[in-house]
Amino acid sequence: MSNLLKGNFSTKKPVADISNEQETLEQRFEKEALKKLGGSIAFVAKQEVLWGDENTSQDDQ
Amino acid sequence: MNTPCQDDNTVVAETSSLGMQLVARMADITRDRIQDLALENAQNNLAAIRNGKNLKALRDIRAGEGDKAIVIAAGPSLRRKHVAKQLLAANYNGAIIATESSMLYCLRHGIIPDLVVTVDPHPTRIVRWFGDPDLSEADLKADDYFQRQDLDAHFSEALRTNDEILELLNKYGPQMRIAVSSSSANSVVTRAQQSGMQVYWWNPMYDDPDQPNSVTRTLLTENSLPCVNAGGNVGSAAWMMANAVLGKQRIAVTGMDFGYYAETPYRNTQYYYEALALAGEERLDEMYMHIHNPYLNQWFYTDPAYMWYRECFLQMAAHANCQTFNCTEGGILFGDNIHFTRLTEFLAA
Repeated sequence: MSNLLKGNFSTKKPVADISNEQETLEQRFEKEALKKLGGSIAFVAKQEVLWGDENTSQDDQ
Repeated sequence: MNTPCQDDNTVVAETSSLGMQLVARMADITRDRIQDLALENAQNNLAAIRNGKNLKALRDIRAGEGDKAIVIAAGPSLRRKHVAKQLLAANYNGAIIATESSMLYCLRHGIIPDLVVTVDPHPTRIVRWFGDPDLSEADLKADDYFQRQDLDAHFSEALRTNDEILELLNKYGPQMRIAVSSSSANSVVTRAQQSGMQVYWWNPMYDDPDQPNSVTRTLLTENSLPCVNAGGNVGSAAWMMANAVLGKQRIAVTGMDFGYYAETPYRNTQYYYEALALAGEERLDEMYMHIHNPYLNQWFYTDPAYMWYRECFLQMAAHANCQTFNCTEGGILFGDNIHFTRLTEFLAA
C-alpha cells in the first residue's frame, strides 16, 4: 500500500495527524464543566484602582 | 496525610490533588467563563452608565464614623455567628459595606448598609439577591443553585423569600447606595434602578491596564469609569471599596468563609455538579481541599474557586495600605497580613 501512496512532492510545513488533535468526548465534557467552574470576576495581581484621571494605574503601596 | 500550602503554613489534607491543579488554572478558567459576557453587559449598560453616577463620587461621601469599616459577605458563618445581632448590640457606627448576597440578611435585621457592591455578570442568579420580579417555579426547577447551598437557608423557600426581598428593597432601596459593576446583567441594573437605589458605576479590572492591548484600559477609554481590582469575587471587591474608595483604614470582614463547615455535604456546595462532572463520584474528594484553621483548631473544606479567592485576597492584603481583620470566626481565610480575631474584639477596639 505504501508503495502506491508515495507523494510526488514535499510539503513546506510538517503535516500533523489530525485524528490525534481532535477533542475526545471526555475532553469536551471537561471543557463544558470548567466553563461553569470559575470565579465571579477577574483578579489582577498588584493592582488596586485605576481612577482614570491619572496617567498610570495606582499600584498599591 | 496533610501538607502545607506553598505560600504559607496552611495545612491542606493531601487528598485534594485535582482541586489544587484547578486552583492553579482558575484565573484562566474564570476569564473563559465570564469575560465575554461581562464585556457584552458593559456594552449594553453604556446608556445607563452615561446617565448615571461615577464611583468617583463615593470618594466624597461620609460612610459611617471614623476609620472602621465592616464588610458583610454571605458565607455560612454570617448566621452562625449572629453578626447583625453583634453589630446592633455594640451600637457600631462605622461604615458597613455589604455584598448584594447579604442584603436580605442586613435588611431583615434592620441594618441599612452604607454601600452595597455587585460584580458577577451572571444573567439570572445575581438578580435573585435583589428579588426577581419574573421568578417562576419553572426557573427554580431549572436551577437549584440557591436551594442546594448553605448560603441563606431562607432562599430554599425561594418564592416566598423572593417576595420578601422585593418588598424590602422597594421600601429601603431609596436609602441605599450601590456600586454596580459595568459587568452586571441588565436584570440586576434594572432592579437596582427600579427599587430607587443610588447607583454608582465602576469597571472591574480584567488585566493589567499598563500592558499593551489591555482590555481594562480599552474599557476605561470607552466608558470613563474607574477600574477596580475586584479580587475574583464580590466580597473581595467590597473589601477593596472600603479601603481604596471610602478610605477606611481598619477593615473587618464577616461572612467571608471562602469555604464550608466540615459537616456540609458536598451536594450543598456551589460547584457540586461541575465537580461531579469533572471527577466523578469516586474521585470527588480530590476536588475539594480540606483545610485546618489553626485559630479555631477546626477543619473546613473548600472548592477550587473559593481557594483561588483566598489566594487572591492574601495577595491583595499584602499590598493594601490598611489593616484587615477577619472576624468571620470560621472558614479558611487566614495568613500573613490578616488579623484573625473575634468580631466583639474588633467592635470594642
